[in-house]
Amino acid sequence: MEEQLKFYSNSPHVKGRRTTREIMLNVCIALLPACIMGCVFFGWRALMIIALSAFSACAAEIVYRLVMKQPFPRILKEFDFSSLVTGLLLAMCLGSQVPWYVPVLSAIFAIVVVKMLFGGTGKNLVNPAITGRIFAFLSFGTIMTSGWVIPNFASSSVVSGATSLTALLKDGTMPDLLSLFLGNVQGCIGETCKIALLVGGIYLVIRGIIDFKWPLIYIAVTGLMSVALNKFDFHYFLPSVLSGGLILGAIFMATDYTTTPNTTWGNVLYFVVLGVITAVLRQATGIEIVSFAILLMNLFVPLIDKFIINRPFGFKREKKVKEAK
Amino acid sequence: MIIKGKKYRYGVHVKDRKELCREKPIETMPAPEIVKISVSQHIGAPANPIVNVGDDVIKGQMIAEATGAISANVFSSVCGKVTGIEEIVNPMGLRQKYIVIKNDYRTEEYRFPNLENFEDATIIGRVREAGIVGLGGAGFPTAVKLTPKNPLDTLIVNGAECEPYLNCDYRLMLEHPDEIVKGINYLAAALNVKNGIVGIEKNKPEAIELFSERGMNVVALQKQYPMGSEKQLIYCCTGRKVPTGKMPFDVGVCVQNIKTLFASYEAVELNKPLTEIVMTVSGDGISEAKNLKVAIGTPFTDIAAYCGGEKENVVKYIAGGPMMGKNLIDLNQYVRKTDSGLLFLTNKEANLEEPSNCINCGACAKNCPMRLMPMYIELYTLAGDYEKAKKYGAMNCIECGTCAYNCPARRPLVQSIAFCKAKLKEKK
Ligand code: SF4
Ligand code: SF4
Repeated sequence: MEEQLKFYSNSPHVKGRRTTREIMLNVCIALLPACIMGCVFFGWRALMIIALSAFSACAAEIVYRLVMKQPFPRILKEFDFSSLVTGLLLAMCLGSQVPWYVPVLSAIFAIVVVKMLFGGTGKNLVNPAITGRIFAFLSFGTIMTSGWVIPNFASSSVVSGATSLTALLKDGTMPDLLSLFLGNVQGCIGETCKIALLVGGIYLVIRGIIDFKWPLIYIAVTGLMSVALNKFDFHYFLPSVLSGGLILGAIFMATDYTTTPNTTWGNVLYFVVLGVITAVLRQATGIEIVSFAILLMNLFVPLIDKFIINRPFGFKREKKVKEAK
Repeated sequence: MIIKGKKYRYGVHVKDRKELCREKPIETMPAPEIVKISVSQHIGAPANPIVNVGDDVIKGQMIAEATGAISANVFSSVCGKVTGIEEIVNPMGLRQKYIVIKNDYRTEEYRFPNLENFEDATIIGRVREAGIVGLGGAGFPTAVKLTPKNPLDTLIVNGAECEPYLNCDYRLMLEHPDEIVKGINYLAAALNVKNGIVGIEKNKPEAIELFSERGMNVVALQKQYPMGSEKQLIYCCTGRKVPTGKMPFDVGVCVQNIKTLFASYEAVELNKPLTEIVMTVSGDGISEAKNLKVAIGTPFTDIAAYCGGEKENVVKYIAGGPMMGKNLIDLNQYVRKTDSGLLFLTNKEANLEEPSNCINCGACAKNCPMRLMPMYIELYTLAGDYEKAKKYGAMNCIECGTCAYNCPARRPLVQSIAFCKAKLKEKK
């Protein structure tokens, strides 16, 4: 009888339940409420954009790998849904009025240039979805920022032509907070409905995929910074927190594993600086800037991880030990 | 008395699967037909065989003598004839001498003479004589641990048994609490310490009760892997942190494992040399999971047969616990002093997934009990830059496996770190 080949490997021999694929699928699930609400508010065009973006992102990864002559079964086995996450996130921060080629081209750019060329999942330097959005912003400029569609049930208080954030920053118009929170204002597909985003965020926290501290720090710092920049007028806190892509960015983009530091203090530094930069840039430019801020900070992550590292257990406690004796 | 220990934040909650044989009393497995006893079952110099092929030996007779300060005697675990001295590759992958003895089923047994007194030097002498080593897995000769360079003040008993599947320490604590308490007292006398602390994980409430009833100071440790790791245990029991690169005796502590204490009791009071150990045979791949008292040198194949044989879908044999144990290529291995488990894992339990790219999630660094950053150690090890890897703490790794257990990308982190450590040591 032929000896059956046993597996041979180093310890540990048992594994935790978590896998990359499971994490990515959970992020997709967490994005679902925001997708659905986007479709409710912005109609079938939103659905089309989400579908196009998600599909192009996944297709781009597979085609890229095929071009690189990787065998198809292996591609399927290694497909970890991170492209799907990128596709969905990208759609979340596009307006529903954009023509069909915007999501397609940005998704392909995000996957191929930002992710695959750097070596695939986990090797990217910056968040692909954010870079995709910025790519769209820079290449299709006016299409992205004009002609916002007013949601189906929008209240009359909304100023058409500009998002509430732009209005707030330009002429200090206070938006209607409730509609900001519920999402019936104009804006990007996934950014408007804060409730849906929060539901997704809570789901991620419960599943242990993100740590609730970081989005909270980011949002709070941004809000407080805006208050400080506006002569400590606390009326600015809620509008600046609720408007624009801050909550989407804080929950889903800034917390992206690959582009955050790996130590607690590194993360504190990262999110605090991120909050400050977001508020300052917002104030200075008057446009929606969360993605630029995140992109900027992403570039500093390797640096943060180089200088803020964990001290091994018992490292600097030598003095204490002597006292104990 | 239950005393309050410190909390330690870092580690994981592993699925412990102890229920497979938690309630099974320790069974004595009849001595097998042939035993093969390694002369190197401990850290330090291998013992030197003092028997020749054809010699008649009885159970408890010394067959290999310690060489040098850090070494341990080896005893025959059966009566019979020495039929050969073979070289076998041990689970660590090292070629080692094994003394082969054919059992003739006589019931003779050698015992040491009674000790005249129970003073420290006599007890240490007996522990050395009986070949006792750290039976928790490390295999460091206990007598050496009992003669520290500086005076100690605390003896910590490691009853955490944080490895999944294993139950042998727990069963020993339940079935022989008095003997273990005596063992603790002997070793405390040998060390001249007054303070003894027993650390037991909270998932063993019966054991905690038994020891606190007997007047021991018990710390109920939180159920978390790796609570049984020396440095973490010391911190939880005493609040002292062992500085990096230092040993427990530097903070005045000596840690002993439950099985070591039981063996010391047997050596000191019953005058028995170390010839048997208690181990857990478990996993979904074995017909009947058991806690066994086996003779040292018993072939693993015999153990498998005694437990009803393995099932079809076994993909991994493991000597020791699943987190730190060694993967066996086949069952042609023989029980050594330090073995605490023999596991038969099926494809459902075992980690067989292929590694993918690290997604930099930080889970490994977040949970590492030594507060290292495994992802960077691995990154730089793979790049061949061992000095950089050292900066992220490579040399402090205790190879507990917490990082790799949690890694969603299934990176073989422990392997990389161990490789890096070996490379760094080579350079020195
Ligand atoms: S790096 Fe070493 S000490 Fe830290 S979790 Fe991994 S194996 Fe354990
Ligand atoms: S746990 Fe695995 S995937 Fe996560 S950072 Fe560590 S090595 Fe990378």
